[in-house]
Amino acid sequence: MEMAIDTPSPSPSASSAAAGRQTRAAESVRLEHQLLRVPLEALKSTVRTNHRLAEKEIAAVLSSASAAAAAPGGGGGGSGDAAAVDHLTSLVSRLHGLKRKMEEGARAEELQVQRCRARLNRLASASSGDDAEWEELRLKRILVDYMLRMSYYDTAAKLAETSGIQDLVDVDVFLDAKRVIDSLQNKEIAPALAWCAENRSRLKKSKSKLEFFLRLQEFVELVKAKNFMHAIAYARKYLSPWGATHMKELQRVTATLVFRSSTNCAPYKVLFEQNQWDSLVDQFKQEFCKLYGMTLEPLLNIYMQAGLTALKTPFCFDGNCPKEDPLSLPGFRKLAEPLPFSKQHHSKLVCYITKELMDTENPPLVFPNGYVYSTKALDEMAKKNGGKVTCPRTGDICNYTDLVKAYIS
Amino acid sequence: MELDSLREAFDRVIEKRASSSAKAQEVIDQIVSEVEQAITKMQMMNTDSMGSADHSSILAELKAKFNELAPLNQLEGCQKELNVALSKYLKLLEKSFSPDISKAYRNVDFEASTINSIIANHFYRQGLFDLGDSFVRECGESDGAHLKLQFQEMYSILEAMQVRNLQCALSWAAKNHDQLLQNGSMLELKLHQLQFVEILTKGSRDEALKYARTHLVPFASLHKAEIQKLMACLLWADRLDQSPYAEFMSSTHWEKLAEELTHQFCSLLGQSSESPLGVAVSAGFQGLPTLLKLTTVMAAKKQEWQAMKQLPVPIDIGPEFQYHSVFVCPVLREQSSDENPPMLMPCGHVVSKQSIMKLSKSSSRPFKCPYCPSEAVASQCKQLHF
Repeated sequence: MEMAIDTPSPSPSASSAAAGRQTRAAESVRLEHQLLRVPLEALKSTVRTNHRLAEKEIAAVLSSASAAAAAPGGGGGGSGDAAAVDHLTSLVSRLHGLKRKMEEGARAEELQVQRCRARLNRLASASSGDDAEWEELRLKRILVDYMLRMSYYDTAAKLAETSGIQDLVDVDVFLDAKRVIDSLQNKEIAPALAWCAENRSRLKKSKSKLEFFLRLQEFVELVKAKNFMHAIAYARKYLSPWGATHMKELQRVTATLVFRSSTNCAPYKVLFEQNQWDSLVDQFKQEFCKLYGMTLEPLLNIYMQAGLTALKTPFCFDGNCPKEDPLSLPGFRKLAEPLPFSKQHHSKLVCYITKELMDTENPPLVFPNGYVYSTKALDEMAKKNGGKVTCPRTGDICNYTDLVKAYIS
Repeated sequence: MELDSLREAFDRVIEKRASSSAKAQEVIDQIVSEVEQAITKMQMMNTDSMGSADHSSILAELKAKFNELAPLNQLEGCQKELNVALSKYLKLLEKSFSPDISKAYRNVDFEASTINSIIANHFYRQGLFDLGDSFVRECGESDGAHLKLQFQEMYSILEAMQVRNLQCALSWAAKNHDQLLQNGSMLELKLHQLQFVEILTKGSRDEALKYARTHLVPFASLHKAEIQKLMACLLWADRLDQSPYAEFMSSTHWEKLAEELTHQFCSLLGQSSESPLGVAVSAGFQGLPTLLKLTTVMAAKKQEWQAMKQLPVPIDIGPEFQYHSVFVCPVLREQSSDENPPMLMPCGHVVSKQSIMKLSKSSSRPFKCPYCPSEAVASQCKQLHF
């Protein structure tokens, strides 16, 4: 990324600080994989669906036309002629139908292309625009991601709309997932199976077991309903193909035929429990995230953990932790508890009065009593009070000229 | 970064997608036109009643045409090119970005209810009350109500200021007069100053004078210089914009004052003026790249990431996230503590107490400062408080 320092930098330390900011900004843009990946996966899947549809329909038309050519007496008597013309006319209207669908499909692709493009542009603007605004919208994007994953769809959509970031978040992608999740919560398996079928080849590539677990659940439900014959037929048809790879699970589940739903036998009892459905929802969410190249955890959690780790020092848990530090708040402290402390190799001194960093630009000054404040703060105080300065923590008063500079390496 | 090459790669995708989609349409049109020609031929034959034996030959001809067109191959070719462009773009994406940012994630209980109430508070403190309410409804977390009321007051004051109405702001400042003074804030005076200028430019000199008498006089002893300038404004009442005091009319005063009011309001509530959620996430964006590198290195060395108590290396985040003074003794390379505090030597350099003990052989002899040629004795060194 280009260094965008447009004004001549006043001092080496200020320019190195600016350079540091630039590198950090560039590095944090590199974290935004998901932002570009999700719309790309959506585009790929639309392209694939459209292509498959075209292929299927055209192949059907072609074979139907050649079948007519090969039919015995294809051109026999008068009624046959009319039939041949009718047949071809029906093919034409079928093709017109396909054409319409392809146009629709192309429009859907274009929307997704536009979305991918908008996101590339968004990232490109990271280092050139207003940092505060960029960070604010970034936080909003991450909050939308969090809410979508937690199924708070209404607020997610509202936040996206009111901030005008619809192109930068994946509300519609998640609405697709919502359909499946809602149905699983209502103990319906069909939409989840349909989703597996739509994405079969990619799920297979990632060795997903989701479909297998869905089938197992369906089997258990049949057993629960005491529909044993049906259950056995179901197992023969849908479970046996998984035997080669998942024999253990298969055996365990088919054993429910013996135990029934009222069993107290622990390994089988769990299979009949309600929370099996919740775990199916979780598994679906995981597969869904993987398929779209999303992180399995909400982005918010990932960034919060990293941020809290970076901010966590033993001083945060002092009584006089400044309120600007998120770790002065109980909620953040609780979240930070299991995280490691950060480490410092170099001194970093913050002025008690101005909260600004004390460095060579703004060196620390020492009161005769050993308390240290920034030059900026004490300078201002001296100007206002005729050269006298007061230590805010002890109340000691002295002349500005009595202060000595401290050199921190 | 490589965003330009990514954009180029994506331009290829756009191009290939367009041509693939155009190709599909073209192929369908070709088939339609062939079939329609065949239909016309058949119909002509019927009207000519030339005998119908040739229908099968027309159909055979159509089939041959189809073979020649090979529509599916045409489609396939275009699709292949599109897929190549797509996978090139994807590869570049994987290369330019960190594909898995959850590598440094600790699998700990990151309690959703805690996060939810942090988010609800965030919405309220940003003045997004509708979103906050909607969020609370959906997640069922509801302990942000208290904060909501307080921030509603602040945003109603700020909204009024937007339309240049200072009544609410002034009454809030009057109510919190003592605390503002304690914070060393001149907010109340500045508000009166704005109101005074507003009256002077919109109303009359008399009114402004009256306002000054009642509201500015109490500040006279502490802020004589400011008040004098304001009084001088009275002389230019109807042409303040041409006066030496035109600067008083600048709209930036309003923006700055709104900012200061936000700051003071939050401060009196015991809140930071920045959203703590925003701060934590921004720090996360800056810190995560280092954490990801660290996990890679540690994984290669088979070191434990999940249970470590302190990071082995510092994380470079901006100075705006530095809330605590940390002194690392340059001799011992250790963070100072109550037992081992920082000490100032007469030359102005600072090292830790333990270092001084070592250098002076337990205060028994003078020693040279490790950073400059001057000498010191332990008793001359002074403990520092940052």
